[in-house]
This record gives sequence, C-alpha cells and structure tokens, in this order.
Amino acid sequence: MKLSKKVVLLGHFGVGKTSLFRRFIDNEFSEEYKVTLGVQIKKKVIQLPNNTEVSMIIWDTEGHSNTVEDTRKSYLLGSHAFIYVFDVTREDTYKNIAQDVNYLKQQYDKVSIKVIGNKLDLINEKTAVKNLKEKGIDFDGLTSAKTNKNVQSFFLDLAHEITEE
Amino acid sequence: MMADPNEKLQFNPQVQIITVSYQGVIKKTDTSLFSWSIGDSIYDLHPFFEILKTLDKTTTTYEALNFPCIHLEEGHFEKICDLTIQPNAKEITIYVYDYTDKYKEVNRIAQEKNESILLAKKLELKNKYLLEKEEFKNSFIANINHEIRTPLTSILGFVEVLEKTQLTFEQEELSRIIKRESLHLNALIDDMVDIAKIESGTLKIAEERFSFQDLINGFRETYSKTAQEKGLIFETHVDTHIQEYLIGDRTRVYQILNNVLNNAFKFTEKGEITFTVSKNYQRSNKLSLTFKIEDTGSGILEEDMLYLFERFTRFNNDPQISGNGLGLAIVNNLVRLLNGDIKVKSIPDQGTIFHIKLPFTFEILKSQVPQKRKKYSLPDHKKKFRILLVEDEEITQFLIMKVLISQGSYFVDVAIDGEQAIEYIEKRQYDLILMDLIVSKIDGYKATRMIRNNYGDSFISEVPIIGFSATADDGVRDKCLRSGMDDFIAKPFEQEELLYKIVKQIAKKAAV
Repeated sequence: MKLSKKVVLLGHFGVGKTSLFRRFIDNEFSEEYKVTLGVQIKKKVIQLPNNTEVSMIIWDTEGHSNTVEDTRKSYLLGSHAFIYVFDVTREDTYKNIAQDVNYLKQQYDKVSIKVIGNKLDLINEKTAVKNLKEKGIDFDGLTSAKTNKNVQSFFLDLAHEITEE
Repeated sequence: MMADPNEKLQFNPQVQIITVSYQGVIKKTDTSLFSWSIGDSIYDLHPFFEILKTLDKTTTTYEALNFPCIHLEEGHFEKICDLTIQPNAKEITIYVYDYTDKYKEVNRIAQEKNESILLAKKLELKNKYLLEKEEFKNSFIANINHEIRTPLTSILGFVEVLEKTQLTFEQEELSRIIKRESLHLNALIDDMVDIAKIESGTLKIAEERFSFQDLINGFRETYSKTAQEKGLIFETHVDTHIQEYLIGDRTRVYQILNNVLNNAFKFTEKGEITFTVSKNYQRSNKLSLTFKIEDTGSGILEEDMLYLFERFTRFNNDPQISGNGLGLAIVNNLVRLLNGDIKVKSIPDQGTIFHIKLPFTFEILKSQVPQKRKKYSLPDHKKKFRILLVEDEEITQFLIMKVLISQGSYFVDVAIDGEQAIEYIEKRQYDLILMDLIVSKIDGYKATRMIRNNYGDSFISEVPIIGFSATADDGVRDKCLRSGMDDFIAKPFEQEELLYKIVKQIAKKAAV
C-alpha cells in the first residue's frame, strides 16, 4: 500500500526545524544558521514493516516570533501531522506551548500534533527533562538534529501513527 | 514576509500558468519559469503539488488558494514563488509568480535580526552554563574539603598521640614526616578552598583588632629558624612608628606575607632575605603600609612575569621544591580584596623584590593593651567531668576519647547521632557536649536547639556545647553560636586547642 502524508514543522525561529528537516530527509547537518523564508517542502519515502510505503511530505515553515497563529493558514491545509518544535535551551520557544497546541487542536482537530524539544546536544538530557517538567511543559520527545539523536526514530514512529489512523 | 499581492505588478514578476487535471496531469503550460511539459504528472515535479490531492472536485465554491513564498526547485535551481491555485469543475489552474529577488532581500534582513537574537540567547546560555559549572566546582571543592579534612584530623591527632609514646629515633623521624606531610596536605586544602572562595566571591574579609607586633615577631621567629637551617641571613626592618595594634584581616595579611616569605626562602639558596615594613601615610585613623620582601634567590624570567599570579603556575620544575602553584594567585587576589597593591621586580639569578601595599585602620582613643589569652582551669581537680561526644565516625571517636581520657579528668560517652545524644542527655548529667555538626537523624545544630529549648532542667538546657566540623567555612562558627552552642572548633584541631576550649567552657559554667 502506498500512502502520502503531509507533515508540517512549526515553532519559533531558530529552534532547529530546518536542521531536523535536513537531518531526516538528507541525513545532513550544518552549524550555520539560515533563516527559512516561507516554506520549503521535501519528500522522503519510508517503508513500514506492514508493507506500507509512506511518502512523508515535510513542510518546513518559517519560524514565528510570537505565536503559531502567525503561521500562514494555507501552509497547514491538508496536513496529517504537525510537529511543534522548541529549543530546550530557550524558554521563550516553549513558554507558550500549551496555548499554541490548544489553538492547533481547536483549528485542526483531526491532525496529529507532536511536540518535540530540539538541541539536546547543548544540555544534559536529565537536566532538560527536569527543567521542562518543573515548568509544566508536555512534550513527546527530545531530539538533537546535530547528533541525530532520536530524529529518525521520531519520524518513523510518527509515520506509523499517522498511517494507522 | 509574504509578498503583498498589490506589489506583484510593482516587482513585475515572471509568471508561469499551468493547467492540470484533477489526476495531476499537466494539460497546458508555458515554460517561463520551469521547463515542465504537457503530459507530466505534476506530483512528480515537486512535492508541494501533493496539496492538489486534497482539493475536492465536487465543491461548489472553487475558492482560490494562495501560497506565498514557496521554495520550488528544479534540478539545482531554486525559485521562491507565490502560487495561486484556482480550481474549477474540470481542472485546476496554477499561477506561479517568481519573487526570488524580493524574497532574498527580505531574507537578508530577517537573517540579521534573528541571528542577533540567537547570539544573545547563546551568550545568555553560555553564561548560565559557566555559572552552573562554577557552582558545581565550588560545591565539589567544599565537599572534597570536608571529606579530606575528616581523615586528616585523625592522622594528625594520632600522630600527636604517637609522639607522646616511647619511640625509637627512627620511629620519631617517621612520625615527624607523617606530621609534616599531613600539614602540607592541610595547607593545600586551605589554598584550594581559598581560591574557590575568592573566585566565587564568597571570601569574607574580616575587620579585627590584632597585634601587629605579634604578627611581625611571629614571622621573625619562624623565618629566623628557617634561615639558620638553610644558612641564609634573614633581616627584618620595621618602622617603629607603626601602631602596635591595627585593624584589618589578620588571617589574610598573615597569609599574604607568609606566602611571599615562604617563596623567598624556597627559591633562595645563598645570600639573604630582607623583610621591611614601612609606613606610607597616616591620615585620621587610616594608614597604609608597604611590605618589602627582597631575596637573593633564583629570580623570575621576564617572560614568566606575565603568568606569575596565575593559578597552577610553577616556573621551577625542581621536584625538591614543593608547591601547588596556587600561592601567588591567592596572594594577588587577597591583596586586591584588601584594596592593596602588589608589584614584583626580578632579575634572574640575582633575586626578587615584592612590594605589597596594604591599608589598615587603628583605634585612636582606646588604650592599646594587649589581649592575652585568658587562662582557665577545671573547677575541681579531684572530680572527673563527664563529656558527651556526638560523633558518627569511629576513628574520630577513638581519637577524641584517647585525648580526653589521657588527661585523667574526664569520662567520655559517645552518641553516634543527634537522636542518641538527646536520649543520653535525658538519662545522664553531662558537664559538656562535643557536638559534630554533621551527624545523621538530627544534625548538631538541631540537637543543640532542642537541648536549649525543650528542657526546663537547667542541667540539660545550659550544658556547655562545643561544635566541631571539618567544614571550616566562615559562617559555620556563627551558625553554631546562633543555634545555641558556646564555641566551635574546626577539624583538624590541635589537641591543646581542643583541651583549652573544653576547660574554658567547663570553668565558665562553674563560675556562673
């Protein structure tokens, strides 16, 4: 069975959405920060064990400065999953996460929403988890696009989940 | 960041118009921007066009959809375009406007803005990381300090006990070496703790009245002996107009001068060392002194002078000369903390001169009577006094018991924690409690507060308590006194000092 699933990367600027995008699609990483303007789209085909071939169409959107509501609505059209990315070292990228996720749930109730903290290479994982828990931040995973930690497994799990729906 | 539709004409973009079927097959197109052909599946040309699969052919509205700022690639070329998708009942028309130049300009501005914000955040994080690292280092040093001092107390204590037994000449020599090395280790810990405190800004400078003459005489005595042993000449010249009693941080002044004098002796093999103290000025109750320490030693190379006050710096690799490279770093930091100044001149193979300027104050009106340590004696020489030792470490228990019992004037009970100490004092009357501050269940501070506050019986509530700990922090003594203790002694302690404090407290209690 062949399926096509649209996944949109959302979140503040500089949290590493493009790095995750590049790591997942091309297994590449660059230390250089380059602003994403608008949206760039790439496809990666994943073969799932249940004989399903999923074309993951990843939309890497321009980061917002304030709230996810600033993201152009047409970019979100026809999505199967949103990945809300934050930077584990920058509180301003996750302090409004609950409101942003709530907004997305209300507007796109059928779309799967995942929250991940990136840049785990900059901080000890235990410290990051403790810090986020203390601040009441709910998240689905922590990744490092730089070291490739948890990146491939996260996208693979997501592909499983959205093809089962 | 999106292009305003009204600006489209202004920027005069190139446009490509493509018509596709609902199956995604290109029915009509030009090649103004991309060389796509009729009959191509648009889904294979770029993943963006997968969006067309979501369009409903049967919808009655056929609203146009606008997608600004989409990166479209063809081979190695990328264009940044605005796209308008206009479906109708039969087909879909796609308008692709190329705004690459405009978007690249916008991109440059956004890049600069975001970069500066991210850089600030990065610096903030780096600063936070450095602070956390510093905090960890200081707590690590404090813990190590405690962990090392406790066994060191036992080593030094038992060496003192050993020295009082019948020893052969060789055994005496070995015990002297153990003592010397233990004291050296203790000094090293002191240095490490001092450096950590200085760097974390937690070193407190005391203001106390002290005998300046005693301080200088102490150096004169100690270093005259050293000079004699090394075959050197040691001269001291002290301005006779300097007040006998000064106000300042005696401990730190001693530490500064002792470090520099010690270095002078360490690096001088022949000739002389001169220690001169002169008054720079005196105004009101303030005065400034210069301490000049001059040697005829190995000197310091010019290129090494830059690193003289850095931590862990040693220029002499002679293994016979001991040192940890912290001494002058501490001296420099302490001089600064005391608002003083330090200068060094040196000529290799000829010698070194240190000039240290330090400010002091002095009391103008009060009579400058030397405060000699008051002598105390036990109130009853025939009686044996009962002491409760609260200590969880067996080796320290054994050491203190040995010291006290050898005096012939004390009975000693041992409680291994604060809870047991409370049980004991309820059952038996004690003349004094020696309370380790860090014991399990109830710590020394809490146990003291309970003793002072929970009992109507004054034999219990007024029993003299001396706290002791390997944590020789500036605040520990204050904390002990605030919790109700009468005195504090830091590990490792001299036996004489411990006995003096015990006798003093018992005598004071008896005098009430």
